[in-house]
Amino acid sequence: MDAILRTENLCVEYRTRSLKVDIKPALKDLNLSVRAGEIFGFLGPNGAGKTTTINVLLGFIPPASGAAYLFGIDVRQPIARQRIGYLPEMTYYYKFLTAEELLRFYARIFGLPSSEADKRIDRLLKLVELEPARKRLIKTYSKGMQQRVGIAQALINNPDLLVLDEPTSGLDPLGRMKVREIIQRLKNDGKTVFFSSHELGEVETVCDRVAIIHQGELKTLGRVDELVAQHGVNLEKVFLDIIGYQLQPAL
Amino acid sequence: MKKISPGWLLALLLTLCFTLATLFVPRAAWWNDVPRAADWNTGRSRSENVFKLLLGEGRRLFGNEMFDMADAYFHSGYYPSIFDQPVTEHDVAGPAEGKTEDEDSTSDDFLGPPPDWIAALDRHFVPNRHTHLSSGGPSGHEKASSVQEILPWLKFATDMNPQFVEAYRVGAYWLRRLRMPAQAREFLFEGLHNNPGNSELLFDLGWLYNEDFHDANRARNVWRAALRCWQAQDDNTKQSVQAKRLCDDITINLAHLEENAGNWSQAVKYLEMTKQVSPNPDAIQKQIDEAERKVTSDK
Amino acid sequence: MNTIWALAGVVIKELYRRKDFYVLFVLTAVITFVAGSVQFFHDPNIVRYVEDLCMLLIWISALLITIATAARQIPAERESRTIFPLLAKPVTRGQVILGKFFGCWLASGIALAVFYLFFAVITGSREHYWPVADYFQAFLLQWIMLGIVTAMTLLGSILFAAPSSTVTILFIVVAGILFLGRHLNTVALHNDEPLRSIFYTIYFIIPHLELFDVRERVVNDWGLVNWLDCGLAALYAAAYTGLFLLLTWLGFRRKSLT
Repeated sequence: MDAILRTENLCVEYRTRSLKVDIKPALKDLNLSVRAGEIFGFLGPNGAGKTTTINVLLGFIPPASGAAYLFGIDVRQPIARQRIGYLPEMTYYYKFLTAEELLRFYARIFGLPSSEADKRIDRLLKLVELEPARKRLIKTYSKGMQQRVGIAQALINNPDLLVLDEPTSGLDPLGRMKVREIIQRLKNDGKTVFFSSHELGEVETVCDRVAIIHQGELKTLGRVDELVAQHGVNLEKVFLDIIGYQLQPAL
Repeated sequence: MKKISPGWLLALLLTLCFTLATLFVPRAAWWNDVPRAADWNTGRSRSENVFKLLLGEGRRLFGNEMFDMADAYFHSGYYPSIFDQPVTEHDVAGPAEGKTEDEDSTSDDFLGPPPDWIAALDRHFVPNRHTHLSSGGPSGHEKASSVQEILPWLKFATDMNPQFVEAYRVGAYWLRRLRMPAQAREFLFEGLHNNPGNSELLFDLGWLYNEDFHDANRARNVWRAALRCWQAQDDNTKQSVQAKRLCDDITINLAHLEENAGNWSQAVKYLEMTKQVSPNPDAIQKQIDEAERKVTSDK
Repeated sequence: MNTIWALAGVVIKELYRRKDFYVLFVLTAVITFVAGSVQFFHDPNIVRYVEDLCMLLIWISALLITIATAARQIPAERESRTIFPLLAKPVTRGQVILGKFFGCWLASGIALAVFYLFFAVITGSREHYWPVADYFQAFLLQWIMLGIVTAMTLLGSILFAAPSSTVTILFIVVAGILFLGRHLNTVALHNDEPLRSIFYTIYFIIPHLELFDVRERVVNDWGLVNWLDCGLAALYAAAYTGLFLLLTWLGFRRKSLT
């Protein structure tokens, strides 16, 4: 099966202002491949390079070396992003627009005809339960509502690949459940989901495969059930083992 | 912390506004205050207005700028900037004797040929020809011959610098040309209110009474006052060309008034004074001889 | 092009949802009404100083709106991080620049049209004479000039750290060009080398915004500028606008999004 998302020896470096170290490697020879129709979890501790990987995939930062492809197209081409949806970790949307205007704006960027855009906007606002607030400015929304706007805008172009950065961050348990439902629904529709998360319990529930990254290096990649069976413990323990964290013995 | 209700805030603002209005209205009333007759003949000067209130003495710096604006308006915007050749005399004061406005111009073509393509293109977007509002302006439309458009700037000039005598004189001149003698008189009164005993303003006032109001008696009284004020100046001031010319104007006009009234001996007295300051004493002497013959024949 | 117009539409919405335009319009209107209500020497026909004052206020307000709007576009996108979901769509950085430019330019054009309508009403009510063609030409030339200013400001927003710095610096630069631009060659002639060369260099490099200032012609009833000359000026403006936008794109391409 062709990979929808693929990285080849991807390296990213940041220039630091430290006296001792001039260049800090954020990613080192990352090789990833995500197949169509799967839910792929991208795990790692803080500062591991998850957001950097996503930033490269979305074309926000250029790689120092290596390459990344979406649907076989180099990520540096804007057309590579035609069939993806992106939900950022923090809710970053124009506060002076309403939810409806925001979705219409993004629909126009994707070149959707206005009749089609209207139908999708109605459907998405119902899906994320923002129908009553569609005409209110986003600046009046709560955090949870803004997150739901984010999910709606990520789905406006009916993407084949959804890239989610900490999708349940800051949500209450009900909100998290709804996000899991949406992810599951997308999988049932044959979509591919690539998301990073710290919620290992969630990842264990929904993901087909996971990759664990630590200090810019890919430590392991495989099916959740295989990893759990291989190490004989739950995913959390697998994660801690791989990043080299030793649990303190109980006193 | 308890919030202040909007109603109380509004009441407070209204109270503040009315208090300020009460404070400023008496001061603002001085704007339109027409001076009493005694004021312009005494040394007392009152020149307080809102600009003085706001800007203090610094307002005088703007007086000349306002006057230049009036001149620029007179030339429909075709006017040299500080970077261009300086204008040697203001055209707003009117043409020299014997010349029309278009003949007498010292700011005719200060621009010269454009030095580069940018300047050449620029000429098409700015006023680029010497015109006068009194002659129809740039387009020659009736609407464009609107010399009254310079008046606000002359008023601003005097508001900024109440001691700017030339602005009062020029304003009065054009108000007369626009057949607004009452407004010209009001403006000259204001000038005298702020510059008591100024002989130039008194001379212009006398001219107004004589030419526009046809009130020879009043004109005579005002011109006599002008002459007294002129004579009260120090000797150095009286020796300047401008001062001599003024004295010439005052005395020659007084002489003509006396001649018209048949008071030849008084006319001779004024002509003698004229002869002292006139650039053409021989011509004045002829007039004196003629007047003396009249005095002799009356006897 | 769809993307560019979509981005422009967002900028326009932002303008009319902020208070800047309304505050400036009300201020212009109040000052003009107060100035127009004063009668000099009991003559109601004196109107040119009101026209002059109103046009000056329009110029100041339009420049304020344009510079303030353009200065915060890119920095606000980066600061509020709305640039991320935007660039996650099939949008290039060049399209973002163009979209912001057209949005700011159209928004300033709409604001300018409202100001000029007000100006026409005020002066027409006093003069009973409407030189519509003159007003339209003045509006068009000023709008073209605002295109250059918008592009300059977008470039400034890439170069300088904060929107407030961009606004301040651009306002000073624009005011300097408007007041001194046409006189720099004269100043150069009155100086010796090397100042002469410096002034001449500046004179030929800067965009001569004062070319588009036809207030003196409108107020003093000089009639229309030749449309061919307007066309040449528009080409001149297009060249500078294109240059500034190119430089903005080159700067934004390499800039970090955070």
